[in-house]
Amino acid sequence: MPLSREAIVEGLQRIVEPGDVVTDEQILVESSVDNFRKLQNIFNVHTMPVPAAVVMARSTEKVVELLRFADEHGVNVIPRTGATATEGGLESAVADSVIIDGSAMNEIVSIDAYNMQATCQCGVPLQVLEDRVRELGLTTGHSPQSKPVAHMGGLVATRSIGQFSTLYGGIEDMVVGLEAVFPGGQVTRIKNVPRRAAGPDIRHVVIGNEGALCFITEVTVKLFPYFPENNTFLGWTLKDMATGFAVLRDVMVNGYKPSVARVYDPGDAGLHFSHFAAEDDCVLLFMAEGAAGIAKATAEGIQAIVDKHPECTQVPSEYIETWFNDLCWDASKITAEDERIRQTRNVNRTTEISADWSSINDIYQAARARIIAEIPDITMMGGHSSHSYINGTNMYFNYFFNVVDVGPEEETSKYYLPIIGIICEETLKRGGSIVHHHGMGKARAPWVKDEYGSSYYVLETLKHAFDPNGIMNKGTIIPL
Amino acid sequence: MRILAYFKVTPDYEALRESEWSAAAGRVPSSGGGEGTSRGPSADGGAGPGRGEHAGPADGVDTRYVRRILDCFDESALEIALRLSDALVGRGRAAGLGALSIGAPGAEPHLKTLLALGFERAARVHTEAALDFAPAATAALIAAYAGRIDRSDLLVLGARSSPGGGGTVPFRVAEQLGWPCLTQVTEVEPLADGRLRVTLMGDDGLQRLTARTPCVLAVGNAVVSHLRVPTLTDRLAVRDRQPDVLEPADLGVDLADVLRREGPSLAALEGIDRHREGVLIAGDTPRAKAQALFDARLKSLLEEL
Repeated sequence: MPLSREAIVEGLQRIVEPGDVVTDEQILVESSVDNFRKLQNIFNVHTMPVPAAVVMARSTEKVVELLRFADEHGVNVIPRTGATATEGGLESAVADSVIIDGSAMNEIVSIDAYNMQATCQCGVPLQVLEDRVRELGLTTGHSPQSKPVAHMGGLVATRSIGQFSTLYGGIEDMVVGLEAVFPGGQVTRIKNVPRRAAGPDIRHVVIGNEGALCFITEVTVKLFPYFPENNTFLGWTLKDMATGFAVLRDVMVNGYKPSVARVYDPGDAGLHFSHFAAEDDCVLLFMAEGAAGIAKATAEGIQAIVDKHPECTQVPSEYIETWFNDLCWDASKITAEDERIRQTRNVNRTTEISADWSSINDIYQAARARIIAEIPDITMMGGHSSHSYINGTNMYFNYFFNVVDVGPEEETSKYYLPIIGIICEETLKRGGSIVHHHGMGKARAPWVKDEYGSSYYVLETLKHAFDPNGIMNKGTIIPL
Repeated sequence: MRILAYFKVTPDYEALRESEWSAAAGRVPSSGGGEGTSRGPSADGGAGPGRGEHAGPADGVDTRYVRRILDCFDESALEIALRLSDALVGRGRAAGLGALSIGAPGAEPHLKTLLALGFERAARVHTEAALDFAPAATAALIAAYAGRIDRSDLLVLGARSSPGGGGTVPFRVAEQLGWPCLTQVTEVEPLADGRLRVTLMGDDGLQRLTARTPCVLAVGNAVVSHLRVPTLTDRLAVRDRQPDVLEPADLGVDLADVLRREGPSLAALEGIDRHREGVLIAGDTPRAKAQALFDARLKSLLEEL
C-alpha cells in the first residue's frame, strides 16, 4: 500500500528538521521538471506529477535514513544538487516522488596540493571549488558551460564533460574516489588511488548513474597546475565540416592535446562569430595550454597541421580569445535567455552524440538535413564538434525553433522529441552513441536498448541488483 | 502607412573583458570632434574580415574582436514596428515596412533577417566607421533617408544607443524633418482613423496619447525587448534579395562636413565599476543567519519606518 503524500511528508519530517522538508506548492511544481521541459517553468504551465516534497539532506547519515525510508515504503527518489540537468533526469515521472537535494552538503573537505586531489561534498558548486584551487595555482580542469551553477555531485552523476576535455578528460577521468549511498542505506566509499587493477573499476557503476542507482554524497577529483599565462588561441574559417573534422582528426592522431579543439558549422558559427566569419563559413578553433613548453609545442604543432589545409583561412587569435572569455552561462545569462524565450517563443535546444571519425560527418549531414525537412518552424539548425578523441569526436547539435500553434507544454512533443528522435536514429544507424555528455535522463531513455545492444544485460542487472525495489529516479536511463 | 525603423549594430560591450577597459584608460581617444570618417579603428592590430567597422585602440576601447549585436533599444523599436505593421495588415490596411542602418557591412546579416521577417525595404547607408559619438551626422543621414529617399510617414527608433547613449538623435531627426517626436515610447497601436495610440513611460507613469503621422517615435524601456526570429523557410524565401546600399552623398549629405561641425567631442572612456560590497553572514543554521541579518541590518531600518 503506497504511502499518501501526507504520510510521506510526515515520514521525512521524522528524519530531518521539519524546515528541511519543503512543501511550498510553487517550489514543488517548479521542481517537477528540469531544463528538458524548461518552457513549463518559463510560462508557468506544468503537466508533470507534482513531487510530494523536496527534502534537504545535510549529511551522509541523513541520506542513509532518507533512502532507507524511501526503499521501505516504495517512494520514488530523485537525487539532485545544482538542478541544472537538461535531459529530464530531474523530472518527477511518477506521482508523490521525493527530491533529495544535496546542495546544502557544500563543504570542501580537503584540498591536497601535494597529491593533487580535492575532496568535496556533493553540493559544492564547481565554481567554488575551482576558485579555491586557483588560489593555490591549481585547476580542476573541468569547465562545463554550467560551471557557475552546477554542483559536483550532479556533474559526476551525469558523466559531465568540460570545455577543456581534450587535455584534461571528462569527469570520469578526473574522479579518483567517491562516496555514495545506495537504496536501503548502504554507504559505499571508493578510496582515492592513482590506479587499480583489483577487478572491475567500480567507480563507473556510480559515475553516470544519474540518480538511478545511488546518491553521490562526496567526490574526490584530480587537480592540475594552472598556467593561464601560456594560453594560446588559434582560429580559422573554412567552407565545410568534412575538412574541419579531418583537421581535428589529424591533430588528435598526431598526439596533440589542445585543451579546446572545435569546429563549428555555419549556422552555429553565425551565433558566435558573425563579426569575422561569412554566412557560409565554418570556424575551426583551438586553445593550447599548460606549461610553457607544452603550450608552445601544441600550438606550433596544430599550426603546422592546419597549414597543410590551404582551404583554412587563419583569423586573428584575439577573436577566439574574446569569444572564449565570454563562454560560460551564469545565472544572469539564464534569466536573460528565459525572457527572450518568453517574448519570442523561439527556443534553443541542444543534443550531443559521438561517433568515430568515419561516421561523424555523415551523422551530422543526415540528421541536419532530415530535421530541416521534417520539423516545422526551425529558425537555426547547426552544431559543432567540441570534444575529440583518438578514434572519433562528438557532435553537439544546436538548434532553434519557433513554438507555433501549440502551448508551451506541447513544445517537447511537437518539436524537441521528434528532433531528438531523428538525431538518435541517424546516430544509431551509423554505430555512434546517442549521448555524449548530458546524460540519458528521461528524454533519451526510450532508445536505451538500441544504444546498449546486447550489453543492455549489464545495465539491467545493475539496476535490479542495486535498486531492487525500483525507487531510484524512475524513468531515468531505463524508461518506465 | 509607410513605416521606417532605424537600428544600429553595435559591439557587444558585455563581452568585453575588464582588462580591455583597464587598457583603454591609458589611451587617448582619436579625433572625437570629427575628422571626416576617421572615427574608426587605427591601422594597427588584427587583419580579420571584421576589421574597420568599430572602434580600435585609437578610440579608447578596442571592440574589434567582440561580436556585433542589435542595439537593445533599437531591437525593441524593430519589434514594435513589426507589431504595428501586423496590426495594420490585420485591419486590412497597407503597412509598408522599411529598415535602415548606418555603418559598415556588419549590419547586412541583420538587414537580411529583417527582410525574412517581412520588411519590404532594407537599406544601409555606408560609412567606413561606425558613427559612435556623432549624433549630428547620424541624425542628418537618417533624416535625409526618411525624408528624401524613403518618404516615410513614421520613423521608429531607439531612444538612445550604445556606446554614447546621449539620446539626442531622435530629436535631431525630428527637428530636421519638421515632425513631432514622442519619446520613451513603449507601445503603439493603430486607430481606425489612421492615427496612432502611443503609450509613453513618463516620469509620472504611463501616458497614452493619440498621434498623427508623420512623427518620430523614440522607443524607451518597452516591455517588448526582443525581435522575433524568422524560420529557415522565411530566410530561403528572401535568399536572393540584397539590402540597398547608399553612400551619404546619395542622400545629399556631406558627411565630412557634418562631422566637422559635431558638437562635444569624446574625451575619454572608462568602464563602469560593477563591484559590489558584500558581507557574508555567519551562522550555523538558516534561522541563526536570518536572525543575524535581522539584528544587524533590518531591525534598524524597520525602526526608522
